[in-house]
Amino acid sequence: MPRSLPGRFLVLLLALALATAACSSRDETTTGSGGRDGGGDTSQEGGAEIDTENCAVDPTTEVEGDTIKLVSSFPQSGLTAAFSEIAKGWKAFFEYTNEEQGGVEINGKKYKIETEDKDDEYNAQKTSSNIEELVGTSGDKAFAVFSVVGTANNINIRDFLGENCVPNLLTATGSPAWGNPEYPWTIGSTLAPYTLEGHAFAEYLEAEEPDVKTVAMLVQNDDFGAAYEEGFKDAIEGTDIKVVKVEKYATGANEVGAQLTSLAATKADAFFNGGTLLACPDALKKAQAANWKPVIWVSGTCISKTLTGIAGDAADGVISMTNVKDPLNPIYDDDEAMKLYREKVKQYQPDADIDNGIVAYGWTQAAILVKALENAEKATRLDVMNSVRNLDGVEGGLLIPGAKVTTSGTEDPYMGETVQRVQYNFAEKHFENIGEPVDFEGKTAKLTPKGLISG
Amino acid sequence: MDLFISQLLNGIGNGVVYASVALALVLIFRTTGLLNFAQGEMALFSTYISWKLASSGLPVVAAILLSMVIAFVAGAIIERVLIRPVEVGRSPLNVVIVTLGMFLAINSFAQLFFGTDPQTMPKPWPSDASGNDERINFLGQSISWAVIALALVLTAECVLLFLLLQKTRLGLKIRAVASNPDSSRLVGINAGAILMLGWALSAAIGALAGSLVAARSTGFDASLMATVLVYAFAAAALGGFDSPLGAVISGLVVGVADALTTQYVDALNGIELVVPLGLILIVLLVRPTGLFGRQTVERV
Amino acid sequence: MTPTGSPPDRPAERPRRTLRAPGRGGGDGAAGSETGVTAPVDPSHPGAGGMPDGDQAAAFARPGEAPAPAATSPGTGGDGQGRDRVTVIRIATGVILAAAALYAPFYFEPELNRVLAQVLYIAIAAMGLNLLTGFNGQVSIGHGAFFGVGAFTTAILMVDHGWTYEPTIPIAAAVAAAVGVAVGVPALRVRGLYLALITLGLAVIFPRVATKYVKGQGGIALLRPDRSEFNSLIDGLASDQWQYFECLVIAVVLFVLAWNLVRSRTGRAMIAVRDQELAASTVGVNLSRVKVGTFALSAAYAGVAGSLSVMIDRAADGTNPILYFQRSIEFLVAVVIGGAATILGPAVGAFLIVFLRRNTENLIEGKEVLAPAVFGAALIVIVYVLPEGVVGGLRKLVARLTKRRVPPSALTAAPMSESAP
Repeated sequence: MPRSLPGRFLVLLLALALATAACSSRDETTTGSGGRDGGGDTSQEGGAEIDTENCAVDPTTEVEGDTIKLVSSFPQSGLTAAFSEIAKGWKAFFEYTNEEQGGVEINGKKYKIETEDKDDEYNAQKTSSNIEELVGTSGDKAFAVFSVVGTANNINIRDFLGENCVPNLLTATGSPAWGNPEYPWTIGSTLAPYTLEGHAFAEYLEAEEPDVKTVAMLVQNDDFGAAYEEGFKDAIEGTDIKVVKVEKYATGANEVGAQLTSLAATKADAFFNGGTLLACPDALKKAQAANWKPVIWVSGTCISKTLTGIAGDAADGVISMTNVKDPLNPIYDDDEAMKLYREKVKQYQPDADIDNGIVAYGWTQAAILVKALENAEKATRLDVMNSVRNLDGVEGGLLIPGAKVTTSGTEDPYMGETVQRVQYNFAEKHFENIGEPVDFEGKTAKLTPKGLISG
Repeated sequence: MDLFISQLLNGIGNGVVYASVALALVLIFRTTGLLNFAQGEMALFSTYISWKLASSGLPVVAAILLSMVIAFVAGAIIERVLIRPVEVGRSPLNVVIVTLGMFLAINSFAQLFFGTDPQTMPKPWPSDASGNDERINFLGQSISWAVIALALVLTAECVLLFLLLQKTRLGLKIRAVASNPDSSRLVGINAGAILMLGWALSAAIGALAGSLVAARSTGFDASLMATVLVYAFAAAALGGFDSPLGAVISGLVVGVADALTTQYVDALNGIELVVPLGLILIVLLVRPTGLFGRQTVERV
Repeated sequence: MTPTGSPPDRPAERPRRTLRAPGRGGGDGAAGSETGVTAPVDPSHPGAGGMPDGDQAAAFARPGEAPAPAATSPGTGGDGQGRDRVTVIRIATGVILAAAALYAPFYFEPELNRVLAQVLYIAIAAMGLNLLTGFNGQVSIGHGAFFGVGAFTTAILMVDHGWTYEPTIPIAAAVAAAVGVAVGVPALRVRGLYLALITLGLAVIFPRVATKYVKGQGGIALLRPDRSEFNSLIDGLASDQWQYFECLVIAVVLFVLAWNLVRSRTGRAMIAVRDQELAASTVGVNLSRVKVGTFALSAAYAGVAGSLSVMIDRAADGTNPILYFQRSIEFLVAVVIGGAATILGPAVGAFLIVFLRRNTENLIEGKEVLAPAVFGAALIVIVYVLPEGVVGGLRKLVARLTKRRVPPSALTAAPMSESAP
């Protein structure tokens, strides 16, 4: 450490240089690919349900050059850094598409997909800053936004992107809020909306466990938990199933002992374990320790091998749902799509954990997006958005057989509506499919309390 | 009534966790007069080390002891390299900033070296085939071995610390340096070495606390100490920053208050933290240096 | 413990320094240390018996090199030529900075203007914290909560009650000040480290309270006023520039206010309370009024900053459990790195932490998880190299360059070290 004053100031100057590096000036136009600044013409586009009259930036300008740039913002450091695995899945797919298919073909022309992303540490304000920087306040630095993680994070960017008519594609959250017709430029991903889990569980109980009359719920104390709670309560309306207790835990808590003591004391017949991350296996273990053996549903976010591994035999027999093939399930070992996934992820993103379900999820989102891009009439934002909003039975990536992606404008903006119920087999250490896929096609909007969508 | 006892035990179970970390905090404060924001993360890193050792075949207890030794050495080095240059005659706030920088850096390195996946820590106490703690039946209630082990360790730590600080020459030197490093130097005490010792001891206790807490939890990851830290700080404040016994008792109080609020006060669902904090505020209003802290006398 | 009598210099110094609060030229103007965050003075310690009050006396007697406070009129003593040179340097720096600040939004892209505006509101909050911690010696790690209170006040008024933006700012300041009073009153009794922890608890609880009681879009505790509410009211100014200037104007006003406050009687009272509370009360300083008042004022600053953040970030976010804790730390770091108990320090500190964080983010390709480590390391380095903060260090440099012996300054002098027996 320099003790002399001038020495210290050299260090300070260095710090200042580091601090002020990379400031770009207003006049520099970055040659990003993507929509060009059209000065906000009103567009006479017919056919699309999207009203382009108020677009600050013209979404009908075609991509110049042969690259389509997608940008994203997601946690890459801090306590939620584990989410960065999702990106490895989609980056692998895009790289595979670029290298081996020559890119995406839209309207007869091939485009390579370029991606750029920034770390937001799950902080919604940071996401907003990141996206504004990546897209540019005039929308000229990127074509579209893809796979942003977090409900609050996406809510923070959807109006900026909506005003500039920049697509916010396949948000990496299962919140039903992306069906809000006021924000047609934001659309969710194949992650089944959280409210559907409530319905899937309710239907399972009615069909397979008719003796179940009482249900206890553990949910996170935020919108994620609210979607579970309201979705499930909505689903059991009119049946003779009752929710006897709902316990909430602080977002991000690792330990839910007090909540479980309270829930176990109700001796309810079924337990909706809406816990995520470490709270999920903790709830299972505490239930086991309390000698409470209800029918247990776990959140779709809990079916990763690490979490079930931690829960050990307390996870035996728990039920959940998914629509992406589980890399750990041996029935998919010879599946072509799974083999392709394993091979290409190893090739293009070697440090990704291919057994991790969220990498498979990322891969699948990219696959669906590429299909949607190829279905677009022209390489413009409007056409791409329309294509994504009007998918008809698209299959791809690692979607389970029977799960097709169908969207139709504002009536059905949800992609992930076919789900496979699964049950954990502790001896085999993976989830097994039970029954046939359940199809909620087109029903999410009806099945979800309005407040959760239009909030 | 049964439910009450259950929640009470839950609270004690969490409370011993908070108390363990609070003890490390108090120890550093007691020996060096500093608040170490990075205490939790140092404990986390040591916990990962013991996990790594245990996963490579070492028996859990040996792994934990080894990681304590490593932490001991690391703590001394940290004091000498990172803290000492800042402390000399400067504002204590600068030290706080350094510990904050350490907080960020250590957590980040832990994620880099050990990955971001949650892991399970093997248990150094009896557990059943499912991996749940064995329980002991006592007065009609079943108490988990984890809680018993943590409580035993805490008691041992308190006793040993008391003996060290109050009954040995070394303890005398430690207290001298804590009170006035300059004066103690003038009396021939190697203040630097004592400060290093303080950090080393605290790091070792933190390592033990972290490993036991991780073993008690269903799983752990880099966020192990994130939620615990606030409660541990609260417990240390409640008990008085210079009282190890205070830290332990307050840790239990905070844990129990939290658990009972979760059970009985639905209105505070989601903001249960208000109760322990409110409790601390009230106590501090009455006794501004915590339940067991020493009263300070200001000289004008 | 037998008192050894108060240091001889002190009573004499006070009348001589009628325009300044009792200062200690101790050390080289270490950025104001806080009597609270140190070991409690232990009078019962056997080892200290008989030791003269060396440190304290020395602290008073030593003239030290404490730099003069920024922008005060040339102080007592020092050679005239050096004084003029320093003033010239100061004025020149001021003009350059002002020009840069005024021109910046026209030069930089809107995204960067947003970042600059963020620097401004963080600077305001850091200034508030500086008033409380740097000048008044009460440590708070909870200013994130006041910030949040201001942000939510503005957001709720705009979203739920349809107010326009500007009138919400004073209300946000007032509400935050009220909360500041509520915290400041117990702070009369709860000191130092314990106060720091209570305030920490506040910052941790705030988002949970917000989540519980605030319902915004999508059912979550995120309030987002319409972007058009913040549009430019001046033709020829783009919205991002308008917002930046609004922040700049408010920041300048608040900083000038702080500067005046610190040099006024009240300011001297604040500093007196920081340095030696009991002595201050004996000379007639109303302790509770000063301490609670400072708390309220500093909370108001943070509240204004929170309100501005709603304009810049277009949201008041209660969904992130650690956000307000992170904000509190941000403000504290900005204060210390910039230079506690200085006027420009908070602004410099805010600038440094925002840009440091941005530029350390993707520094190591493929290892983004290390970004916080790089940032943390940078903080540590800065604290080593510039223990008085950037502004403190700059002053010393200027003094060194102009070869002027700077008289001890009240405003930045450190109070007694913690090792008084």
